[in-house]
Amino acid sequence: MNHNLFVIIAASAIFYGTPIYFAALGEVLTERSGVLNLGVEGMMLIGAVAGSWTSSHLGGPAWFVVLGAIIVGAFAAALCAALHGLLVITLRANQTVAGLALTIFAGAVGLSSYLANSWHVARAPALRQIRRLNVFGLKDAPVVGPLLFNHNVLTYLSWVLCVVASIYLFRTRMGMHLRAVGESPQTADAMGINVTAYRYGHTIVGGALAGIGGVFFSLAIVPTWVDGMTTGRGWIAIALVIFGFWRPDLTLVGAYLFGAFSSLGLILKARNVDINSSILDSLPFVMTIVVLVVVSTGWARKRLGAPASLGVAYEREER
Amino acid sequence: MSSVRGRVRFEKRLDVAKRMTYLVPLMSVGAALVVGAILLLATGHNPIDTYHKVFSRGFGSRSSLSGTIGLATPILFTGLAAAAAFRMGLFNIGGEGQLIMGAVGASGVAIALSDQAAPVIFIAMVVAGMVCGGLYALVPGFLKARFKTSEIITSLMMNYIAAIVLNYLIFNSTSYWRDPKSKGFPTGKAIGSAAQWNEFTVSDVVVPLGFVVASIAAAVVWGLYKKTRFGFEVNVVGDSPVAARYAGVNTRRKVLTVMGISGALAGLGGASDIGDFRHVLDAKGLSQAGYGYTGIVVAALARLNPLAVIVVAVVMGGLTNAGYALQGPDFPSGLVGTLQGLILFCTVAGEVLTRYRVRINRRTVAPAPSGPAEVSAA
Amino acid sequence: MTDAMNTTTAWAEVQAVVLSGITKRFPGVVANDGVNFAAAHGEVHALLGENGAGKSTLSNVLTGLYRPDEGTIDIGRVRHNFGSPRDALDAGVGMVHQHFRLVQTFSVAENVVLGEKGGGVFLSRRIIEQRVRELSERYHLPVDPAAKIWQLSVGEQQRVEILKVLYRQATVLILDEPTAVLTPAESQALFTTMRAIVAEGRTVIFISHKLDEVIDVADRVTVLRGGRSVGTVATSDSTVRSLAELMVGRDIAFTRQRSNDLVFGDSPVVLEMRHLQAHDDRGRMALKNVSLTVRAGEIVGVAGVAGNGQRELAEVITGLRESSGGVTLVGGFGLRGGNPREAIDAGLAHVPEDRLHTGLAPSLSVEDNLVLKSYRKRPIHTVGVLRRSRIRSMATALIERFDVKTPGPQTATRLLSGGNVQKVLLAREFTAKPKVMVAASPTRGLDVGAIETVRKLILQAADDGVGVLLISEDLEEVLALTDRLVVMYEGAIVGEFATSAASIESIGMLMGGASASPDEVAAS
Repeated sequence: MNHNLFVIIAASAIFYGTPIYFAALGEVLTERSGVLNLGVEGMMLIGAVAGSWTSSHLGGPAWFVVLGAIIVGAFAAALCAALHGLLVITLRANQTVAGLALTIFAGAVGLSSYLANSWHVARAPALRQIRRLNVFGLKDAPVVGPLLFNHNVLTYLSWVLCVVASIYLFRTRMGMHLRAVGESPQTADAMGINVTAYRYGHTIVGGALAGIGGVFFSLAIVPTWVDGMTTGRGWIAIALVIFGFWRPDLTLVGAYLFGAFSSLGLILKARNVDINSSILDSLPFVMTIVVLVVVSTGWARKRLGAPASLGVAYEREER
Repeated sequence: MSSVRGRVRFEKRLDVAKRMTYLVPLMSVGAALVVGAILLLATGHNPIDTYHKVFSRGFGSRSSLSGTIGLATPILFTGLAAAAAFRMGLFNIGGEGQLIMGAVGASGVAIALSDQAAPVIFIAMVVAGMVCGGLYALVPGFLKARFKTSEIITSLMMNYIAAIVLNYLIFNSTSYWRDPKSKGFPTGKAIGSAAQWNEFTVSDVVVPLGFVVASIAAAVVWGLYKKTRFGFEVNVVGDSPVAARYAGVNTRRKVLTVMGISGALAGLGGASDIGDFRHVLDAKGLSQAGYGYTGIVVAALARLNPLAVIVVAVVMGGLTNAGYALQGPDFPSGLVGTLQGLILFCTVAGEVLTRYRVRINRRTVAPAPSGPAEVSAA
Repeated sequence: MTDAMNTTTAWAEVQAVVLSGITKRFPGVVANDGVNFAAAHGEVHALLGENGAGKSTLSNVLTGLYRPDEGTIDIGRVRHNFGSPRDALDAGVGMVHQHFRLVQTFSVAENVVLGEKGGGVFLSRRIIEQRVRELSERYHLPVDPAAKIWQLSVGEQQRVEILKVLYRQATVLILDEPTAVLTPAESQALFTTMRAIVAEGRTVIFISHKLDEVIDVADRVTVLRGGRSVGTVATSDSTVRSLAELMVGRDIAFTRQRSNDLVFGDSPVVLEMRHLQAHDDRGRMALKNVSLTVRAGEIVGVAGVAGNGQRELAEVITGLRESSGGVTLVGGFGLRGGNPREAIDAGLAHVPEDRLHTGLAPSLSVEDNLVLKSYRKRPIHTVGVLRRSRIRSMATALIERFDVKTPGPQTATRLLSGGNVQKVLLAREFTAKPKVMVAASPTRGLDVGAIETVRKLILQAADDGVGVLLISEDLEEVLALTDRLVVMYEGAIVGEFATSAASIESIGMLMGGASASPDEVAAS
């Protein structure tokens, strides 16, 4: 393979992988608390439409508008996550069905589409987009330039978050409490940890991260609104959590792998490589299935598995 | 004590009242309409006006009722598909893809057998739709039975793959399904008139054959799950997989069978889509319809009862019908999906009321949190 | 010992815990009815009562898990109103539950410091492991602070639980049936730890229904019966017999419910295991070459401390777990194994440990659960269609015959009481006319009346010619019901006795592994 081509694929893998990573990292935190939120796709779309709307309605300097869009997108998706929390944490509803409900409610033919059409964000490209930076003026440096110094602010934020989340989960008290809540809420409760607060908190933060992933879609990847523009990336994010064994670092690797699958079609087409685009289009979805099968077999299943109480509502033994 | 919690308590109900089985869905729809009204107000629409229009365009006249039953047909199939699988705790959310595959199969045989008699083509389409949908569902079913891979994500990924296959057949290749005469925008080959399914007219309301087939299928599924040995096993697996294994039920085989049945029902919906409605493999229309998701809403609102699925599908069909008829500035697209999502939310929340009695402990001085307290009022 | 006694007297003037008039009602039951309880500083105070007497409810009230409907809680003269376990912990009340509250994937040290207030944002493994090591040395609770919980034995896990409570500087420690999972030698070590804890002026509340242990370790005893406190006595003034009378309200003798004269040499062998081997869920060897026979009409007991392969043994015989070696024969026919259906068809009945979730489908109706195994047989269905009226009449007859208290045959099984759940299960298993029955802890968690009923049903089955394999951690039950018994330790059978000739002491030593000699037990 051409050396240059490799760099291009790697750089665009990072670009296309970043929004998936935001969503997947959010789901890592959510699932670590024992809550399964299958509404990621819906939350991403809500984040996307809210970000899009903000960018075309907020005045001021570009950085201010982009920051506002990210915050509004994160907030809107966090609200959706809070709704999920209300259903599954307080009302102890079935987490799978509640998550599906969230995706249907917020998703491609639901609220995100309604708001986009109601607010007319679908008409024109977003006025302010998230631009690539030229860090230290090194964007044209060979190899490392496109790989490290020519991304947008959200990609750099995702790297920071990856490190912070890893330290948080495995090196801090709160992170330990979070893992205890996901493994054995009975134990955590008996030791005085507020299970409900931890579950709500991390579900909501998880939603906010999914929302930022959505903003990345509407303001960086496809800077115009299309109904259902995330095309299943929210679901791939959920699969990535399993692929990454609920760890922020491994999940980042997985996200870039899927970023590569997503971008391969565009790159090869641009280079006039003769592969039917349908095969390339289906690659991320086929690979998701393959990855899920691989991690659900054999050694992987034994010890590195899911938080033991994932998907189970916690109920104190008060009769 | 500052940390006194549990002001709102959920007590497990010792017995579930029968009336809950219809009260909960009714209350769910009611609550969803209320929340929807707030949403409409917030975005500058008049809710009463909007709801009135939805009702009259969905159910107000015989012609609108005809449209409603037509739109209810595919979601009746996907609703049955979801109910059949969910009853065993198997979350097949790939109804969309299975329906697409059923449509591919049924249109294929319809084109191939175009010179045959109408009943022959009809039977061939039904069989092809069920086989293609069923086999497609067996992929996640097999992965679940063999590797314990979560069927939720795999069946959903299969939806996207089905849409890509559909695109490939019509837009991206010179396949058997593509009409070589179509210039510019590619389309599928139309099926012959003998392959088109009949309609019945009952007091001026048009009922497509597919709706009748779906209703028969609903009755069959109901009987299968309620009256037979097979259904008994499905219920046991759905309630406690461990107990099923203990009692000697082969759960792996059950997963495969139920996935197959579920996929066959969705695939039958694909055959009906070709035979009753589009008469051509319509790549764009099929992938935009969102039948799979709506089917899940239908199944949940029907509380997984196959006979209730018929009624709920007609209600949802009316909503969809009104959505199509009214689409415009006053009625942005996405509103129907939002309302359906709200209904599903409220159904999920309403299920809680069948299992718990909400009790507000008034002895503490602190005010009860507003969120959970609303539930007791609902 | 004299020092400890002096401390006890000095502290005894101040009550550490006073519960007065505690009443706790659940739908349909009054679990605690005006219970009074007081324990002093520096004493081991036993809470004695049969299953269902209200011990667990009272301890859950004291640890903040339940809120009492009436009554007051005073800890060290301060009135408390606990809203959560954290409140109780903050007030100095810590509990070691019967079912451990430990995070399996965490290390010992992580479990001990979990939920600790303050202590900084970041967590240093080295520091917390050092602290836990010091604590474990101080109280003679040996355990490796860096080990993960799932790697520990049950006895070690219990030590972690005690360390957790001590780490919080609890002044009142509640131990809920701590010896149920221990060997006699481990129990003695625990008693030493308990004395060391009270020697510092703390209070240990020891919940038990084992009379000799109570007399052995406690200073005073409060007895609960039927949800009421019936009295507090000093153990120095009590005998096993007097406590037993208080506990059950009548004079009971240790009774053998099975005749000693039964001989089974001529009866056919109905269950035979040859050199069975199997792995547990974590892939460790759980059954090592187990061979055992049961003859028709014979009751064979399997005694042992929980987790020594009994569960795997039951699962392999009944086909729920694949064996990795050996064969099982039912009625002379070899089973291929790993297939519950094959075992059922061969005439094997199974009363599993987890009766409500394994033995029954909890949300299905009583009548459905009564045909859970026979639904695929002829009279219940015709060409695959269930005969509902037949099921109904059969269920009604069984409900009557086995005296199942249920609103009706269509009630969801999970809504029944524990005893009635077990009756539904037994009714179904007996009507299949089995050759063999494997019963695992069939009376655990049941009330006194239900225990008697279940035991009678098992004895009745044996009289009818069923070979019974009774797997139970309750040694008294094994001794009362069986004709012959084996002891399992670490996946192997380490001893076999004719029950009439067995002594509790020798069985107890085998249960703890051959290493525990009588002298060692006496010395500690």
